[in-house]
Amino acid sequence: MTLAAVRWGSAQELEEYRRNLRARRDPRARRVRVCIGTGCAAKGSLRVLERFRAAAAELEGGSVVGVRCTGCHGFCERGPIVVVDPGNIFYPGVKEEDVPEIWRETAVGGRVVERLLYRDGKEAPPARTPEEIPFYRHQNRVVLSLNGVIDPTDIDDYIAEGGYAGLAKALTMEPDRIIEEITRSGLRGRGGGGFPTGRKWRSARDAPGEPKYTIANGDEGDPGAFMDRSLMEGTPHAVLEGMIIGSYAIGSTHGYIYVRNEYPLAVKHLSMAIAQARERGLLGENILGSGHRFDIRINRGAGAFVCGESTALMASLEGKVGEPRAKYIHTVESGLHGKPSCLNNVETWANVPAIILRGADWFASLGTARSKGTKIFSLVGKVRNTGLVEVPMGMSLRRIIFELGGGIRDGKAFKAVQTGGPSGGCIPAEHLDEPVDFDRLTELGSMMGSGGMIVMDEDTCLVNVAKYFLGFLKEESCGKCTPCREGIAQMLEILTRITKGEGREGDVERLEELGAILSDASLCALGTSAANPVRSTIRYFRAEYDAHIRQRRCPAKECKGLFRYAIDPQACKACGICKKRCPVSAISGERKVPHVIDPEKCTLCGACYEACPLDAVRKV
Amino acid sequence: MVEGEAAAVAAVVDRYGGDADMLIPMMQDLQEEYGYLPPPALRELSRRLGVPLSRIYGVATFYASFRLMPRGEHTVQLCMGTVCYIKGAGRISEALQKEFSLVPGGTSPDGKFTFAPVNCLGACALAPVLVVDGEYHGGLTVESAVGLLRRIAGGAPAPGPSPQRPAPAAPPVCACAAPPPGAPAPPAAPPPSAAGGSPPPPAGAPGPGEPREEELAAGRREPRLPRRPRAPGGAPPGKTGGRKPGRRGGGKP
Amino acid sequence: MPTVTLDGRPCEARVGETILEVARRNGVWIPTLCHHPALEPYASCRLCLVEIDRGGWGQVVTSCNYPVRRDLTVGVEAERPRRARQGVMRLLLARCPESAELRQLAGRMGVDSTPYPKVTEAQRNCVLCGLCVRVCAERIGASAIALAGRGVARAVATPFRLPSEDCLGCGACAAVCPVGTIVVREHPGEVEISPFKSRVKVRTCARCGAPRAGEGAIRALIRRGGVVIEEILAREDLCPRCRRTRLALDLASSGTRARADGEGGEVP
Repeated sequence: MTLAAVRWGSAQELEEYRRNLRARRDPRARRVRVCIGTGCAAKGSLRVLERFRAAAAELEGGSVVGVRCTGCHGFCERGPIVVVDPGNIFYPGVKEEDVPEIWRETAVGGRVVERLLYRDGKEAPPARTPEEIPFYRHQNRVVLSLNGVIDPTDIDDYIAEGGYAGLAKALTMEPDRIIEEITRSGLRGRGGGGFPTGRKWRSARDAPGEPKYTIANGDEGDPGAFMDRSLMEGTPHAVLEGMIIGSYAIGSTHGYIYVRNEYPLAVKHLSMAIAQARERGLLGENILGSGHRFDIRINRGAGAFVCGESTALMASLEGKVGEPRAKYIHTVESGLHGKPSCLNNVETWANVPAIILRGADWFASLGTARSKGTKIFSLVGKVRNTGLVEVPMGMSLRRIIFELGGGIRDGKAFKAVQTGGPSGGCIPAEHLDEPVDFDRLTELGSMMGSGGMIVMDEDTCLVNVAKYFLGFLKEESCGKCTPCREGIAQMLEILTRITKGEGREGDVERLEELGAILSDASLCALGTSAANPVRSTIRYFRAEYDAHIRQRRCPAKECKGLFRYAIDPQACKACGICKKRCPVSAISGERKVPHVIDPEKCTLCGACYEACPLDAVRKV
Repeated sequence: MVEGEAAAVAAVVDRYGGDADMLIPMMQDLQEEYGYLPPPALRELSRRLGVPLSRIYGVATFYASFRLMPRGEHTVQLCMGTVCYIKGAGRISEALQKEFSLVPGGTSPDGKFTFAPVNCLGACALAPVLVVDGEYHGGLTVESAVGLLRRIAGGAPAPGPSPQRPAPAAPPVCACAAPPPGAPAPPAAPPPSAAGGSPPPPAGAPGPGEPREEELAAGRREPRLPRRPRAPGGAPPGKTGGRKPGRRGGGKP
Repeated sequence: MPTVTLDGRPCEARVGETILEVARRNGVWIPTLCHHPALEPYASCRLCLVEIDRGGWGQVVTSCNYPVRRDLTVGVEAERPRRARQGVMRLLLARCPESAELRQLAGRMGVDSTPYPKVTEAQRNCVLCGLCVRVCAERIGASAIALAGRGVARAVATPFRLPSEDCLGCGACAAVCPVGTIVVREHPGEVEISPFKSRVKVRTCARCGAPRAGEGAIRALIRRGGVVIEEILAREDLCPRCRRTRLALDLASSGTRARADGEGGEVP
C-alpha cells in the first residue's frame, strides 16, 4: 500500500520517510507474494493472484495477511511461483485449485504444504525455501535481489528495501568522484560490448556540448535472452536510480529508456516507476534538493533487432530508420542529435546504485581479474532447470549448466552451449570448465553478449543452428552496407544447401572466406559478428559439416532427408498405428510381426515417429 | 481522407507537442487506433509535421511492427526465438501456413488470421509459444497449434473470462492493473480477464480442453475501442511487433 | 596540420578532412561507388576501405568518412584492405552480374569475376548506394524517394510505390546514379523518370513551345520564392530567348536600345 505521496526535498527527508516506513512494517508480517512477470502470467498467475486477494478480503477477526504481486523470480518454467512470508516458503507451479490450501495452511496457519513444495527430482526431499533449491542456492543475486520480493508498481516497497539510498549518497559526492568509483569497480557493459563503464562516463563528462543524453538500452533482441525483461518488469526503480546517478555524474539533463515493444509489461512498470519517482522528487527539477535536474522518457522499439546497436537506437529516437552509422567519432562525443550521449544496457545501469552504496572494492571483490561483479544469464534450452541465474563472473560453464541448470534433460548428452546470441558462438564440452568471463569467452570464439546461454544436446544439429542464426540476421539486417546484406544471404544459401544434402566440397572454405569479408568490411557489429556462429561451429564441429557435405548425413538426425526412419524390431509390438498414419503407405507388416518402413517410399514426414506409442520408430 | 482521420492525426501530433523526433511513437499510436497505418493518415502526418512522406514511408516499411494493410480478425504471433526453434517452431510455422493459407506477415484469404512470426518473446520456458490476440499458448505441438487456430476460426469464444467465473464488474483492486497515477482511467476498457490456469500438457499428448493461458495485466488486445486519452510522456503498453519476411518490399506497399 | 601517410607517402592534411579527400588530392586512387563530392558521405558500399595502423593492430575503415584528427598511418594497397575491397566488389558483381559499369570498376580494382551465385534481387542493377535518395533530399530538397524496406528487401521507392507528388522532374537522381538504373525519358509536354513511375508535366514557352521546366520545379520555385515569383511567371511564361526577343521589341517601340545583357539602356 502506498502512503500519501510525499515529495522529498532532501536526502534527510527520504531517510526519515524510509525510517517511518520500516517502523510501520512488521518483518514477521504474514504475506503471500505472487509472481506476475510475463512468464508466470502466461501460465495463469493472475488468476492465482485474484484468488488470494479474494481470500484476504474475507479474513475476519482483525487478522491481516498481505497479498503482494511481484516481478519475475527467474524460474519461469516452474511458474506460477508463490512465496509465503514469514519463512520464504517457496511454492512452484501453483494452480488456482491449490490456493485455498496454501492460504489456509501456510499463509494463515504457518504450516507448510509438503506436496506442493519444490523437489529436485522425484526421489529428492522437498525444499522449503529457495536456499534449498540448487537453481537458487548457487546464485549470487545482487541485481535481481529484489525481483520476486517487491511489488514493482509500488515505490514504497523499493524504498523500504533501501532503494534510492545510493542516489542520496551519490548526490553528496563530486561527479568526478562518482566516475572514479565506477571506474575502480571494474564494471563493464552488460549489453554485449563489455566496454569499461567508468571510461565511457568519463568521456561523456569531458565531451563538450549540451544537452547531454543518458540512455538505457532495453532492446534485448538476442533470442533466448530475457534478463532485461525480468529486470525492467521486476525492479524498474533500480534502472532509474542508476540512470539518475549517471546523469548527475556526466552532467546530463535528458534521459531515455528504449524498450522493445515486445515487452509491454516492462514498458508499463517502467512508466509507473517514472511517474512515482517524479511525484517524490527523484526525477524532474532539483532532485532531492541537490540542484540537479533530470527526467526520463520511454520510447518503444518498433520491431527491429538492429536497434539494439547504439547508433541505430539513437536514429530511432530521432524518428528515423534504424540505420547504424560509423563510430569513428564515438557516441559519447556525438550521439543523439549530435550531442554527447552515454548509452548503457539496463543491467549495467541497475548495477550502479549498489556500487555507489557498497563501494567499488566490494564490487571488485566479485568476479575475475578483468570481469568484475555478477552477471545475469538466461540459461535455456535442453537443461532441466531453465531460467535466469545471477552468478559471479568466473563461475565455470559446467557449474552453471550442471549444478544450477540440473544438467541435460531426458538423460541426453551435452553437446554445446551457445553464448552471446547471434553474435556469439557455440562452446563444446571440452571447454565446460572455462570461466564465464568477457575475454575468455571471446578467446574461445564466442562472446558473453547480453547473457543468453542456450544449451544444446546430442539431438541438435549445429549446422542447422548456424543456419538458424544466419536466417535471423538476414531478416534483421538493415540492408545499408553491401557485405552484411549480400554476404549473409550468400552464407545462408550455402548453409541451406548443406542442410538439404546439397553441400559441395569447398563450401566450408567459402563460408570462412565470406566470414572474413563480413568481419572486415561491415559497417556495424551486426555484420562484423554475423559470422561468429558459423565460424565457431566450423571450429569445433567440423566433422558435422563434413558428414553433411560428403556423406549427405546429419549425425544429430535433425536435418530432413539426411537421416532415415527405421522401426526397431525389438521394440515394435505391431499395433499398426504407424501404418495407418503413413500418408504414402510406406510401412508394411501383419499382426504380431514387427513392421518395416520401405525407405524408397518414405517421404520422411515423421508422422510415424510422432505417432508410435512405444518409441519404436528410430532415427538412424 | 475521412474527417475522423484528420482529427485523429492532429490529436496524435499534439500529444507529442508536434516534435518530429517522436515520429515513431506517433505512428505506433496511430496503428494502435486503426489496427494498421492508413496511407491517408500518413499523408496527413507528413503534412502536419513537415516531414517528407517518403521518409515516413521508409520508417513504415523498415520496422517490422508497422503494417500498411489492415489486419485479420485474429493476430497470431509465433515466436521464432532460438529455444522455440529448436523445440519445433519451424515445423509449426510450416503447418500453420499450409493449413490456413498464410504467409508470414500476411493475412489469410478469409480474413481470419494475420500471421506474424516474431522474434523471441522472452517466454523461453514455455517454448514453443504462440500468442493469439494477446493470449499466450505454450508447449505447443504441430497438432495442438493447428487445433487451437481451428477452434478460434470456428467461432470459439474470443479470449475472455472463462465460463465458470463471471467477469468482474470493475477493474481489479491490484495496483498492477490500475492505470499509472496521473493518467485518466481508460473508459470502457475490458478488465484483464482470466481464462483457465493449468500449465500446458506435455508436448505430444493430446490436450482435452486445450488449456488457455493468461492474458497479461497490460492487456494486449486488438484495439476495437474508442480512442483512449493518455498521459503525455509516458508510453502506454504497446502492441507486439511482427516480423516481416525479407521478400516483402520488393513490389507491394 | 596532421600528416596522413598513405602507403608510406606522407601527405599533409587538414583536421576534419576525410582520408579519401587527402588521397584524392595526392593522386592516390581508392575505389568508391556511393561517394559524391556534393553529398554527405554515406559509407554504404564499403568499397573505399583502407587500413589504419594502430601500432600492433590494424583497423579497417571506410576512407570516405573517416575524419583526420591527428597523424595517421594508412595502408591502401596493403593485403587486408585490398582483399576486403575485392571481396565487397565480388559480392556486388554477384548481385548485379549484368552491370557494365560495375564490371568496369571491378576491372580497375583487379577483380575480373565473382565466385558467388546471384542470391538477391536488384531492380535494374541498383546497388543501393543511396545517391539518388541523398541528392533528392540534401540538394534538391524534394525528398520524393526514400530507401524502403530492410535487408535484402531494401529498395529505392516512392511512397506506397505510387508516382510521387513531390517529384520535380529535375532528373538529378538519374544524373548521380552510377549504374544507370534511373532513366529520364522525354515525352511531349512531359518528362518520365523510370523506374519511379514519375511523370511530370513540363511547362512550355507560350511563344515558341520549347520546354522550360517541370511543373513540379516551378511549383517548388513558387513555394520558396513566394508571390513575387508567381507574378513574374504569370506575366511572362516565356523561355529566355523569347523573353529577350519580346524585351527588344518593347524597347524598340519605346525608343530605348536593348543592351547585350537584356537590360534597357538609354539611347545615346
